[in-house]
Amino acid sequence: MSTVFVVNQRQHNNALDVQNLVIRYGDVTAVDAVSFSAAFGEVTAVLGRNGAGKTSTLEACEGVRRAASGTIRVLGADISTINNNVRARIGVMLQDGGIAPNARVRSLVRHYCTLYARGVDADELVAKVGLHDRRSSTWRRLSGGERQRFSLALALAAAPEIAFLDEPTAGVDLDGREMIRGIIADLVQGGCGVVLATHDLDEAERVAHRAVVLHRGKVALNDTIASLCAGGRRLEDVVREATR
Amino acid sequence: MRLVLAQIRMELTTLVRNYEQLLLIMVIPIGVLIFFGNVAVLPDSITLTRLVASVLTLSLISTAMVSTGIATGFERSYHVLKRLGVTPLGRGRLIWAKAGSVSVVELVQVTVLVAIAVGLGWSIVELSWWRLALALLLGTAAFAGIGLCLAGRLRAEANLAAQNGLYLVLLALGGVIIPVDDLPDGLGAVARYLPSGALAEVVHASLGGTPSGVWLFIDAPLGAWLVLAIWALIAPLAAARLFRFDG
Repeated sequence: MSTVFVVNQRQHNNALDVQNLVIRYGDVTAVDAVSFSAAFGEVTAVLGRNGAGKTSTLEACEGVRRAASGTIRVLGADISTINNNVRARIGVMLQDGGIAPNARVRSLVRHYCTLYARGVDADELVAKVGLHDRRSSTWRRLSGGERQRFSLALALAAAPEIAFLDEPTAGVDLDGREMIRGIIADLVQGGCGVVLATHDLDEAERVAHRAVVLHRGKVALNDTIASLCAGGRRLEDVVREATR
Repeated sequence: MRLVLAQIRMELTTLVRNYEQLLLIMVIPIGVLIFFGNVAVLPDSITLTRLVASVLTLSLISTAMVSTGIATGFERSYHVLKRLGVTPLGRGRLIWAKAGSVSVVELVQVTVLVAIAVGLGWSIVELSWWRLALALLLGTAAFAGIGLCLAGRLRAEANLAAQNGLYLVLLALGGVIIPVDDLPDGLGAVARYLPSGALAEVVHASLGGTPSGVWLFIDAPLGAWLVLAIWALIAPLAAARLFRFDG
């Protein structure tokens, strides 16, 4: 299992560098001159209210969405011209899953392990996300929390050096959250940079090292959790104040 | 190549588990061929060669347009294409894999249908394999292009309805089941510009049937080849321009 979470190559300072990112949908500017970085071996939480631009930002970093302007460097490579060698080291967990209802757990995880070709064992991965007993089930038969863990397994198939996780704990029960928290901790311990978009500020306070708070498409705050929560302040209060 | 092959295997595995699609691409064409090959309900103008050509055309439209279009439409709505697009497979290889899986299915369809036709007494002697292969290649490009135009733009449910509706219209009025020559004048004139009628005609000619009619001001089969080739060029270009990976 060690191959899953260990980052072997470190040829660049940050796992992710975003500079002046602008994303537009027609006349609407969803993300406006956003800049931030995510370090290896840390969790960077991207926070904000609905419509703040979290998912748009993450999708641009993943290469799903085209930026109107700005630069995004993932593992040192420009996302707009990224090659497959770099692509294979990026783990992605989409907010909307990206899994067909008739996809079976083990079959699809094995397929993704083949596509990423990073030496990850599909059966070990299925067990790691707690779906061993559900390995023959289709996505439509899984609970909300199981679906999230299924989606997370596809991100882990990359043995990622950077992982983009969009709302990984949404709809997940307490045990499931504990498991996902453990997986994120393993990723970080192995040197992976984790970029996490979430509404769950308690979760962010627990697992993240740094928070980038977006408000109406702009960066409202960008600091370490320790600094933001200095003096015993709760992250929820800090974010609420910054996005008022 | 390894990734494309892995994705082709995945596409085919998914297809085999999808009973509606199996019904569409295998059961219906085989059933039509066996039924009309045994029961004398068709007019005398529809020979066994014409019937085989119609069923091969029907099976190609089922696979390249309807099955591919519906499956791709739902994959798009479930964001499966978006997810696969950020794996090392990427969008380019994903399209090649889909083309590969369609080709495998068509190869199986042609093999099975030709074998059944021979069992029904159809003579393979006049068959031109290379012409049939070229017809199927052009037909696949044309119909996959049409299917992906719809799948890449419409919502999954609307796409499902549109693909099925277009399928029925083309089968009934597009020169597939009823030869273009046997359609009423107005419909026949329209069908001569459709890829379905042109495909049925060139497949019929490839099987050794006697070409008939004037297509695009040129006698069959050359005129029908020309109509099909134009569709095979235009439809994929339109799909490439219109298709959106994310629903």
